[in-house]
Amino acid sequence: MSRRASGLRAWFLQRATAIYLILFLLYLLQHLIFNPPDSFAAWQGWVAQPLVGLGLLLCFASLLLHAWVGFRDVLIDYVHPTAIRVSILTLFGFALIGCALWVMQTIFLATVA
Amino acid sequence: MKFSVYRYNPETDSEPYMQMFEIEQRQGMMLRDALLAIQEQDESFTFRHSCGEGVCGSDGVNVNGSNKLACIAPLTELKDPVEVRPFPGRPVIRDLVVDMSQFYAQYNQVDPWLQRKEPLPEQEILQTPEERDQLDGLYECIMCGCCSTACPSFWWNPDKFLGPQALLSACRFLADSRDQAGEERLDKLEGPYKLFRCHTIMSCVEACPKGLNPTKAIGHIKAIMLKEAI
Ligand code: SF4
Ligand code: SF4
Ligand code: FES
Repeated sequence: MSRRASGLRAWFLQRATAIYLILFLLYLLQHLIFNPPDSFAAWQGWVAQPLVGLGLLLCFASLLLHAWVGFRDVLIDYVHPTAIRVSILTLFGFALIGCALWVMQTIFLATVA
Repeated sequence: MKFSVYRYNPETDSEPYMQMFEIEQRQGMMLRDALLAIQEQDESFTFRHSCGEGVCGSDGVNVNGSNKLACIAPLTELKDPVEVRPFPGRPVIRDLVVDMSQFYAQYNQVDPWLQRKEPLPEQEILQTPEERDQLDGLYECIMCGCCSTACPSFWWNPDKFLGPQALLSACRFLADSRDQAGEERLDKLEGPYKLFRCHTIMSCVEACPKGLNPTKAIGHIKAIMLKEAI
């Protein structure tokens, strides 16, 4: 990919993650409606299935990437002083990484349990 | 009919104010005729206009909140009292006259002329009717600026985001079978600002008095870029 992708890549990521999020949320919704897990163990068993675990991981990865692109867009639009923008973006980036680690830990714990 | 008109003369006024005028409405009257009638009442009132038939693109103003060409805006379609302001986001020179240099500078950035790498032929460069059709909806732009000055992304970053008018023009040359600088044109639009500040808000489409669709043109450019990138 050329340097051109700096705008294109963000835009493409935003679209692609949005599509995955919609599809996965539809799956999630039908799962919760038709066979809602009724206990902690049922939840854990559900998440422990490899496909569900992978799907969930991808879902959160998409969510965090989507949030990153969207938040960066808002900052580029409204926050013009570079120093402030970079600081906010860095804080937000760390928060997203924190969320990602937490999600991975949760899914990992469910899988090994 | 009542008109509330934006007035500002930087030489004498410390800040802008709205002034009320009342004019007698005649049949078939356009907003430009009303502005001329107002000018008869107060000669110091200033606005741009020329052709009077939606061709020159010089009399774009903000009417009751939307950008229009005054000469083709029938008074019968406007809510009384009519509020007339200069284009939003542009520096006001006087009354309804704004400084559009940034808008033209963005237009200039897309190299809005045909570029050939092959030597020019003796005769004209031929196009098939289908190739010619690709330019419809793109070439008709009269550069009135109604779209770009209605675009929130252009309000926030008028120096970095090209705006719908310039992007429509970029698309016009990308779509032209005779142009041979497609790669360079795409390269010039790279980065998060020039093209990708557009968030598909579609204010530009609503504003365009020629019924053009800059949002579609922008989507078209993105599609070409995507195709080239993968
Ligand atoms: S669609 Fe894009 S160019 Fe048109 S008004 Fe919205 S942000 Fe601006
Ligand atoms: S696209 Fe339409 S609104 Fe924009 S400058 Fe051209 S004619 Fe005017
Ligand atoms: S006066 Fe020429 S477009 Fe209105």
